[in-house]
Amino acid sequence: MLFRLLPWEYAIRNLFRRPLRTTLTFLGLTTVVTLILVVVGFIRGMERSLAVSGDPETAIVFSLGMGENLEYSSIPMRTSDLVPASVPGIQERYGQKYVSPELFLGTEVRVGNRAPSMGLVRGVNRSALLVRRQLELEEGAWPSTGEVMIGNLVATKLGVTPEEVAVGRTLEFEGRPWSISGIFSAAGAAYESEIWCRLDEMQQAMKRQDLSIVAVSLIPEGDFADLDVFCKERLDLELQAMKEIDYYASLQRDYEPIRWLAWLVVVLVSGAGVFAGLNTMYGSVVGRIPELATLQTIGFSRRAIVISLIQEGVLLSATASLFAAVFALTFVNDAAVRFTMGAFALRIDNIAILAGCGVGISLGFLGAIPPAIKALRMPVVDGLKAV
Amino acid sequence: MPLIEVIEVTKKYRKGDESITPLDAVSLEIEQGEFISLMGSSGTGKSTLLNMIASIDRPDSGRIIIDGTEITSLSRTRLAKWRAENLGYIFQTHNLVPVLTAYENIELPLLLLPISASERKRRIEVALRAVDLLDRADHYPRQLSGGQEQRVGIARAIVSHPKVVVADEPTGDLDPVTSRQILDLLKRLNEQLNVTLLMVTHDADAALVADKQFRLDHGHLVQTGRTEVPVQSREIHKQHRD
Repeated sequence: MLFRLLPWEYAIRNLFRRPLRTTLTFLGLTTVVTLILVVVGFIRGMERSLAVSGDPETAIVFSLGMGENLEYSSIPMRTSDLVPASVPGIQERYGQKYVSPELFLGTEVRVGNRAPSMGLVRGVNRSALLVRRQLELEEGAWPSTGEVMIGNLVATKLGVTPEEVAVGRTLEFEGRPWSISGIFSAAGAAYESEIWCRLDEMQQAMKRQDLSIVAVSLIPEGDFADLDVFCKERLDLELQAMKEIDYYASLQRDYEPIRWLAWLVVVLVSGAGVFAGLNTMYGSVVGRIPELATLQTIGFSRRAIVISLIQEGVLLSATASLFAAVFALTFVNDAAVRFTMGAFALRIDNIAILAGCGVGISLGFLGAIPPAIKALRMPVVDGLKAV
Repeated sequence: MPLIEVIEVTKKYRKGDESITPLDAVSLEIEQGEFISLMGSSGTGKSTLLNMIASIDRPDSGRIIIDGTEITSLSRTRLAKWRAENLGYIFQTHNLVPVLTAYENIELPLLLLPISASERKRRIEVALRAVDLLDRADHYPRQLSGGQEQRVGIARAIVSHPKVVVADEPTGDLDPVTSRQILDLLKRLNEQLNVTLLMVTHDADAALVADKQFRLDHGHLVQTGRTEVPVQSREIHKQHRD
């Protein structure tokens, strides 16, 4: 090495020289990094929710021209029989085709005496379990007459406590009460914020005989084109088919502006953090100009002194990042968020930690450089005389 | 051959519209082991000359050669290295690093030298003993008196066995009793360690501790004593020395 560094203790002890300023900066940086972790956790949670919702072997059939609005889709009930009869390549076991007719809508749901809020309800029959393979019943049982089972994020979606939608409790939609028979999870998929009931009962309650979609599982070598051709040939049914992963990918594209907005928040919050770091390091350096000049007089190079000042900034920001990461993992990770499409859990995963801590440490680095350069540009003789 | 050669050094600066020349073609030679004091009124350029010999300031013209190295032609990076290996600096205001203990302050110059940790420890203990502060090694500057701080500053200046030690008003911030102790200490270190010492002071009594006394007057160096001798050029100074 062409130059020798200042002792590491010098950087550490300097942080305790102005305890109040250091503490305030530490809290500021911790807040900034926590906010970044929350925003990145939001993006990651939303992306994951949409990514895991799509099964590569599953395709959905719905009304032509409906875009991504499955709630407004209406297809004839017989579609669920016509599709398996006409399309080859659909999975089958013990004579049962993997076809799930579903009625899906957003409707007002009331829990206890609370004001009703918008919930997502899906009417299904048992064949849904064949197609929706991520689904696991966590508690209770499959719904029978007058019952529903709910996803583990329904409480968040409806804005109620988990106790209010526990197994055995009642909720109300479409003008009648429904008893909760079970709670399911779906590996983070969007269904976790849905209420599922029996298809026939839902049709009865809504006085509808149609379906919203038919979901089918294709065998691995099955050809989606067959399903697509079927939909295009049966003009009388006015159908369209889409691979489920394509459907959720299109939803992701719809939420792209939200993602960019979230990243913009990260940038703006980071900018505020840089100013916090700059403020501290300027305060720290300005009061130490004669000391830094003394170190140069002794023989320490400017580069060694700049590195020591960067060590101080990075040490403080790294500690704040670590603290924020522990806080976020403990209190923010898996926290559920309501959203128009349902609800999803914030995910403080490796990427979020890397982004949050990376930005946090950069704040300390960037905050230290300008004051260090400013202080060291001053001639040594002037530095020694500086008050 | 003298250890320090200051050859025709000039330094000018502007103060408003006025051009000031604190050093006007100043020449000086200092032998190895000499203790020189440099006096002058405020603003006469004595600290400027000291800082140029300490290589933290540069002359507008002229050369400074120390132990065969022309320091006025070295780059900033090389000068930092040169200072680490050859120079000890004693400040008027002690300039100790407040977050480091006396021991750690004295250790700073040694961190720049290629010596082992055990050798570093040995040298620090010798320096602490020389300034009689072995029992204050773990004290921070705020826990020391002004005199003790200056003794730590002196230990820091001599610990790396530099060829040259410069002292800028080393007693300027101290009471008369402590000043006397510090001057005695400098004299003792000069005699025992044979260290070459250049001290700037405005105190005539303090200046008398040195082997030779010089005064800067209107940009020119004058050797004082019973008869004042102007030192206008290297040759004149050489004749005077002979």
